[in-house]
Amino acid sequence: MLTLSFIAVGLLLVVIQTTFFMPSPLWIASPDLYYILVGYLAYNFTFLRGIVVLLPISMVLDIYSGTIIGIYPTLCYLGYFLLKFMVAKMPIRKSLYQLPLVALSYLVVNWVLLLILDFFQPQVIAGWEWFPILLRVFLIYLFSFPLFRFFTFIDKRLRGKTSSARLTRSLPGNQFRQD
Amino acid sequence: MKKNSRRQGKGSIKTFRFVLFIGTVATFAVILLIIILGDQQFGPVHKVILEGAGPLQKAVAQISGSVHSVKRKYIDLLTIREEKERLWKELQECRTTAYANRGAVALNARLRKLLDFKESSNQPTITAQIIGKDPSLWFRSVIIDRGGSDGVDKGMPVVTGEGIVGQVYASSSDYSKVLLAIAPSSAIDVLLQDSRIRGILKGTGKNMYLLEYILKTAEVFVGDRVVTAGYGGMFPTGLPVGIVSKVTRNRRGMFLEIEVVPAVDFRTLENLLVIEREKKMFD
Repeated sequence: MLTLSFIAVGLLLVVIQTTFFMPSPLWIASPDLYYILVGYLAYNFTFLRGIVVLLPISMVLDIYSGTIIGIYPTLCYLGYFLLKFMVAKMPIRKSLYQLPLVALSYLVVNWVLLLILDFFQPQVIAGWEWFPILLRVFLIYLFSFPLFRFFTFIDKRLRGKTSSARLTRSLPGNQFRQD
Repeated sequence: MKKNSRRQGKGSIKTFRFVLFIGTVATFAVILLIIILGDQQFGPVHKVILEGAGPLQKAVAQISGSVHSVKRKYIDLLTIREEKERLWKELQECRTTAYANRGAVALNARLRKLLDFKESSNQPTITAQIIGKDPSLWFRSVIIDRGGSDGVDKGMPVVTGEGIVGQVYASSSDYSKVLLAIAPSSAIDVLLQDSRIRGILKGTGKNMYLLEYILKTAEVFVGDRVVTAGYGGMFPTGLPVGIVSKVTRNRRGMFLEIEVVPAVDFRTLENLLVIEREKKMFD
């Protein structure tokens, strides 16, 4: 149920992003809402469940956007693995500091992917431009606060207990890794 | 004794006052009678009285006017809230109507252009509407509400009344994905309308094209019109593509660097026409 619900939420976010947040085909100030979900899944879901949720969402993104099949699954999973790795290695367990990491990982993943595509298929994609990409990073950061709260709300409702994802509140006890 | 004389004095004063009162009343009555029954002339006395009473009357009239005005304002004030709300609502309705009208006028103009194009071109076309836009920064495509069941097929050219928009990249039964001509992966055979010089138009991902493979020996000027060449049968010949906006001659290389402004405003795309053509080799 939780997996299906988050798949539905993810699909809804993709639809909102491709319609409401895209008033024209050249609009650059559209927040990549799906990537915020990638961040939430990396922080709060088990490894396998996160992968299962991301698969249909990234496939729908592939259909709605671009001309290279498989680019969105690559982007989503790269971001997901990177964030999972950072969560595992980060000294601070849960805090507000995790939200900027979502935006930062978006920048890193985009840069890596563009580098790969520029090497293999240079004529297919537009070149790197700092202003639009930084604007997207900022929008992800901006939208991650309300969306994380929204995801946490759904998570709580569906799990029927208090979620561990209380990112906007300070947690009691030692927040540093014990190992 | 003293009491008697005091009583007699009081009685004579009373009598005197009575006589004086009656006399005054009688005098005024006589004057009134004379005035009423007289020659009805507005005499000097009347004029003096009018002159004397005029300022008083004027002052009272002004005060009365002010009082009435204050009263009126107060009553207006009592009803002004409802009036304001009513007018505000009316204004909002008017604004909404005006906005809708402006939208309808713009839509009408766009549809008229599409219709003109449809009527002027002898090709069968399918009208479509954009329902989704590519959110990425790297690609440029849109989703339209027409698919295979409407006759839309992969590779078909997509246009508006102004010029070419792109081509159908993929289609399902009811929907299709259109690769815009400004997409970095788009390349179209074009001609300069006047000189008939041929080149390849490449998308940049922005609201601009690059015209490539035109030799430096060619004469290309800002303002030259670019149209589809029609080679390969993908696009019909002579469709407007854009206008040359910048020509650069670099020392190195064989070709000119030419920038072209699209004929279509990609920021306001809404309704499109898919030109029905036989299935071409898009792959």
